[in-house]
Amino acid sequence: MSSSTASRQTSQARTTTAPGIKTGPSLRRSRDNVSGWAFAAPFLVFFLVFLVWPIFYGFYMSLTGKSLTGANDALIGFSNYSEAFADAGMWRSLGNTLYFTVISTVPLVLVALVMAALLNIGLPAQWLWRLSYFAPFLLASTVVSLFFVWMYNPQLGLINDFLSKFGIPKVGWLNDPNVAMWSIVIATLWWTVGFNFLLYLAAMQNIPAQHYEAASLDGAGAWRQFFSITLPQLTPTTVMIVLLQILASLKVFDQIYQMTSGGPGGSTRPVVQYIFETGFTGYRLGYSAAISYIFFGLIVLVSALQFVVTRRRSA
Amino acid sequence: MKQFESLTGRSMSRRQLLTGSALLGGGLLATGLTGCGGAAGAASTPTINFWHLLSGGDGTKMQAMIANANNGNPGFKVHPTVLAWGAPYYTKLAMASAGGRPPEVAIMHASRVPGYAPGGLIEPWDLGLLAQNGITPENFAPRIWEKSQQNGKVFSLALDSHPFIMFYNTDIAGKAGLLESNGQLRDVSSPAEFKAVALEMQKVTKSHGLSFGYLNLGSQMWRLFYTLYKQHGAEIVLTPGQPMQANRDAAVESLEFMASLFDDTIAAKGNDINTGIAEFVRGDSGMLFSGGWELPTMKKAKLPVDALTIPTLYGTPASYADSHSFVLPRQLAVDEEKRRDAYKFVSDILKGSLSWAEAGHIPAYQPVVQSQAYKELTPQVHYANAAEIISYDPEAWFSGSGSDWQNYFAEFIQNVLLGRSKAQDGWDGFVGRTNDLLSRPNPV
Repeated sequence: MSSSTASRQTSQARTTTAPGIKTGPSLRRSRDNVSGWAFAAPFLVFFLVFLVWPIFYGFYMSLTGKSLTGANDALIGFSNYSEAFADAGMWRSLGNTLYFTVISTVPLVLVALVMAALLNIGLPAQWLWRLSYFAPFLLASTVVSLFFVWMYNPQLGLINDFLSKFGIPKVGWLNDPNVAMWSIVIATLWWTVGFNFLLYLAAMQNIPAQHYEAASLDGAGAWRQFFSITLPQLTPTTVMIVLLQILASLKVFDQIYQMTSGGPGGSTRPVVQYIFETGFTGYRLGYSAAISYIFFGLIVLVSALQFVVTRRRSA
Repeated sequence: MKQFESLTGRSMSRRQLLTGSALLGGGLLATGLTGCGGAAGAASTPTINFWHLLSGGDGTKMQAMIANANNGNPGFKVHPTVLAWGAPYYTKLAMASAGGRPPEVAIMHASRVPGYAPGGLIEPWDLGLLAQNGITPENFAPRIWEKSQQNGKVFSLALDSHPFIMFYNTDIAGKAGLLESNGQLRDVSSPAEFKAVALEMQKVTKSHGLSFGYLNLGSQMWRLFYTLYKQHGAEIVLTPGQPMQANRDAAVESLEFMASLFDDTIAAKGNDINTGIAEFVRGDSGMLFSGGWELPTMKKAKLPVDALTIPTLYGTPASYADSHSFVLPRQLAVDEEKRRDAYKFVSDILKGSLSWAEAGHIPAYQPVVQSQAYKELTPQVHYANAAEIISYDPEAWFSGSGSDWQNYFAEFIQNVLLGRSKAQDGWDGFVGRTNDLLSRPNPV
């Protein structure tokens, strides 16, 4: 039955069924339900097949010794989890992920805010600024990584060449364990800050102009207006940007894999890369699933904390 | 062929098309349409899927070799799929084989076979069928043939061996007075002599004597290390469930020598593979340690270049190398006809591997190596002796070209080469990481 026929029949039922007949509304409801489910079905099928089922199957897999080669899919209980909790490699990569999240989220939010504020004060050629701030976000991670690998090159790179003009010795941007993560953060900042900038700009442009007019009549200067009007009005946007940024940073993989492969000395290997290595190149799918569930638990924890904090603030 | 033309006509009704297709399909199945050439003949030609990881100059050469094989065998058509080198290729091949629907034939590094054969991801070659196609064990150098086997069965057929070698710029070497009367570089047989040669070249280039790109590339660090380590006559044995067996003194000595090269005079402190090659091609260094597969780059740049195996600095001639080898991924249901075609295809490629030698590789198929045409290929013939002193990676499910194990090596050794940590500490860290892998369940 086509959906248009279904809706025609439903409307007929509405007009012809007399009030008081008990079967009418329930029949109507069930017909409504059928068409509702029919419309939702394509999404539901995808949701069940590609999200719900993998979540359950992934957890089941984490309880087995399953290998990529198809060998040993017998249940082994929680031994993958106990192995993971004793695995220094997992803890180190989790630590790297958290470190990256902390040192990337702060500049990615602050720089976006500053960029949006600068643009909001009415610079000429707005479209050009918007385009230049947002354009890097449209590039593929491979392209961005390639740019920065060349710029960071200790011998031929643009950055060391520039620094050498001031007599600053060569920096091993991607091969010094103390510097490499920061180099990746700089590349990530350049690449993705445009998205946060756009969210901030949209929110700033929605702040009613009357607020600023009233404030200037009261003698408030630009700084006072920024801190007393703009920032408080942006709070919901800031909360959303911080949450989205934390989740995005926790999932970091592409640019690190392409720029340092997790090196030097494993100092930039994020947990997603560790999961990839144990599962796909190390063949141990069951063990890799266990680590991803530990990581999943961490993300749920962060989201729950965030939820509690924002609820308290809005209460 | 009138019937075929009518099928493609625009005015045909849907019913006509379906009927026509059914008739044509039936006809194809019943007769194979062997007598009918052209488009109908092409439709019945079995397709042999072939996966490989050869790109750049190698990829172009392989494409030409496949085209030759296709032209010579109208009975089948080889369809190549090229995937990125390293983890992307090997994970996809393992998954396709585990699922039972992989390509009919694929290329693998011989060093990766121990990670695939025990789990049943690849199948052994049938020596009888190979012999029918003119391929016998005698066609391969003993070391290469030995490597093709696992538990007495032949799992990989080597197309080549591609060693890690030393390129040198003949102009710079000549100006530095380092060439013998035969035009080749003076013999070097100790670390001190090697450094002296490099310093002579540096005096000519005014920049560096040697280029070796290694930053962030475990495979490149491993190639030089393993060559030097094996020159000590030392071995590495990896047995799951047991600690790694290795000669620590030989490892530390090799690493210390490597680190001593990066003094910004003999070699730049930190070059990655691209900048290393660029430096050598610019003439800013006299020598380059890299794989023979870089030869097309040098030729394209019209560089006056010759090449040798890495000099024997510690007494035992040895050269890190691997082999691009043909394997038969496990099929859920083997199509016998396609498999026979795959044997024919592989034998044709092996026999035509002179063209592969032009890309800098040493052919594994001995009749090609012994041919006059190969003997005239320079500088390939100057490092062809590498085939006799090949050192493949130690065998384990996690070792081999493009493996994580080589990345783990970089994790501990890069800082040694950059002078940030001691060779002993770097080596012990790598041994610890390897022991960790050996202590975990073997997934194959």
